[in-house]
Amino acid sequence: MADPISYGQAVVLGLLQGASELFPVSSLGHSVILPQLLGWDIKQNDDFFIVFLVATHLATAIVLFCFFLSDWMKILRGLGRSLRDRDLGDDPYARLGWLLVVGTIPAGLLGLLLEHALRDLFASAQSAAFFLMLNGVMLYGAERLRRRAPVVDSSEDAVASDVRIGETVTWRNACAIGAAQALALIPGFSRSGATMGGGLLVGLSNEDAARFAFLLATPIIGAAAILKLPDLLGSAGNGVRGPALVGALCSAFTAYLSVRFLMRFFETNRLTPFAIYCVLAGAAASVWLATT
Amino acid sequence: MSDRTINILLVVAGVILVLLAIVYWIEPAKSLPSVMPGHEAGSTHHHVKHGIAAFLLGIGAFVLAWFRTGPRHSAA
Repeated sequence: MADPISYGQAVVLGLLQGASELFPVSSLGHSVILPQLLGWDIKQNDDFFIVFLVATHLATAIVLFCFFLSDWMKILRGLGRSLRDRDLGDDPYARLGWLLVVGTIPAGLLGLLLEHALRDLFASAQSAAFFLMLNGVMLYGAERLRRRAPVVDSSEDAVASDVRIGETVTWRNACAIGAAQALALIPGFSRSGATMGGGLLVGLSNEDAARFAFLLATPIIGAAAILKLPDLLGSAGNGVRGPALVGALCSAFTAYLSVRFLMRFFETNRLTPFAIYCVLAGAAASVWLATT
Repeated sequence: MSDRTINILLVVAGVILVLLAIVYWIEPAKSLPSVMPGHEAGSTHHHVKHGIAAFLLGIGAFVLAWFRTGPRHSAA
């Protein structure tokens, strides 16, 4: 019997997953639409495809963690110190760490409870294309409705960015932005798009919103992957582990390039190009799927 | 409501949620009390994710109580 995913498909889907997970354009939406457009017999609810996605998500989470390693070390130290002292004190990393915890809990709860229902409800490529257009509208709306963002000196270092995030984002903001990540359970909506948009709406600059979105994405992507790791290692992974490993390596490669590119891109640019892309790509995919 | 009462309620909620998590992990859906979300007559499925969700909320309640019983100027 042929493997459910060929190595060629694994390379394409891995490269796509790594990039689209971090670009605010919905990785799930693309992984639903692309196989349909290419005529591949791969559907998002297939067991083998979920196993494949576990590997690519794990790779993306590891890349994100390594890219922001120095931030994470300071955040973890801040969390530990604040727990020991029962006080956040003046440590910006303790506050940032607890903001990430507060943002991750609602996303995790909603993901745990709604994942299957939403995926089953919106499993078709047509709906993914439609929601991709809505994702574009959401990104554009966030740019239009944003509060006046602080003028940020792009030469400032990561510490200054982390401090600004801690000073700007309130506990309620973090909870709302975290909950907005659950939108990404619907194929077509982007997790990073929702968090970046939320960051803009609470007054962060594009660069700080992107940093907060990537920090917030790391635990939730990693936890989701680890939770499903038994699927990859169990019988559901038979015949998929080789392509999954190749896909994970490809995903790690494009995830690294993507986060590096996006952190520089958002020093001077906005979400608008991604909003336009999502609307156009969603519309084009809708027309294509309706006519074939 | 006084701070002390809120702290006690948070700890009680934490204990209950962690216990609920354990029940979700060890009991199949058919054996869950009918008032608990996930109860399903005849089902042998274990609601592991419900358990994780309850456990996370329980830990969150404990952490909040921990900070609230710390120094007065704590903001968490």
